[in-house]
Amino acid sequence: MLGRLRMDVDTAIDYYDDLVKQVFSASNHWPGDGRFKATKLEEVIKSAVGDVTGDPEEPLLEISDTSACRT
Amino acid sequence: MDANIPVLFRTYPSRETHSGCKIWEAARATSAAPTFFKHIEIGREQPFIDGGLGRNNPSRVVLDEAYTLFRARPIGCLVSIGTGHTGIISIKKPGFLQVLPTEVFEALEAILTDCEATHEDMRCLFANLSNTYFRLNVEQGMQGIGFSEQEKLANVEAHTMQYMKRKKVDEMLALVVNAIKFPRTQVTVEQLSMEISLVQTELTPKYCFCSFS
Repeated sequence: MLGRLRMDVDTAIDYYDDLVKQVFSASNHWPGDGRFKATKLEEVIKSAVGDVTGDPEEPLLEISDTSACRT
Repeated sequence: MDANIPVLFRTYPSRETHSGCKIWEAARATSAAPTFFKHIEIGREQPFIDGGLGRNNPSRVVLDEAYTLFRARPIGCLVSIGTGHTGIISIKKPGFLQVLPTEVFEALEAILTDCEATHEDMRCLFANLSNTYFRLNVEQGMQGIGFSEQEKLANVEAHTMQYMKRKKVDEMLALVVNAIKFPRTQVTVEQLSMEISLVQTELTPKYCFCSFS
């Protein structure tokens, strides 16, 4: 959030707060796959990435900006 | 897979960059703590689990990476931020431990020790470089807050604020700001990395006598 998405600290805390509330209230019925739903986690992460970059599927690698903070 | 060999997800080009990886995939892979979320497969169906199981404190990994990228540059500072002292990543929740396999519990206990051992190694490594290595870690009051107990976020915030108000921590923060703004060290990443091999092979945290001549 701080590195690749370059959120400021307050924005990152807001997004994290929201993420935790959504993800950890979605328990999995099949404990073999983990206690919480990975699909919910993916959905919330993609939405945050989409908010910031405009594309939920944005690649991790940044080629254009070589002066950017390396994360 | 071997959890002892970390895979780094980088935002910059590198010989080992995991090419084609998306931001959400990297975020998902680095939060795939076993028993919490299903693991994720990226690219050639390599399963990823959260680095906590092998690298809970990534200071050494960061120094290795800095060596590859900035070999001859002087080191500015290393700031390590913990997620709270040992207790915070414990998952002692009533009714949960019973279903937790012994080997997983043992692995989690090992993380706690691993984390502090790395901190001791770093302290030793930077012993003669004043104001270059800093570790911030909320020590008191976090015990027993597992990382899925979202209702306790407010507690985490309160403990953190209290920690930051402590005189020692407040003074350390001022030094961190100063070290970032005005880097003074003359030691290069390369010189420091030579010391790392010494720390790893010969020294244990009990016997610190690193030196820079």
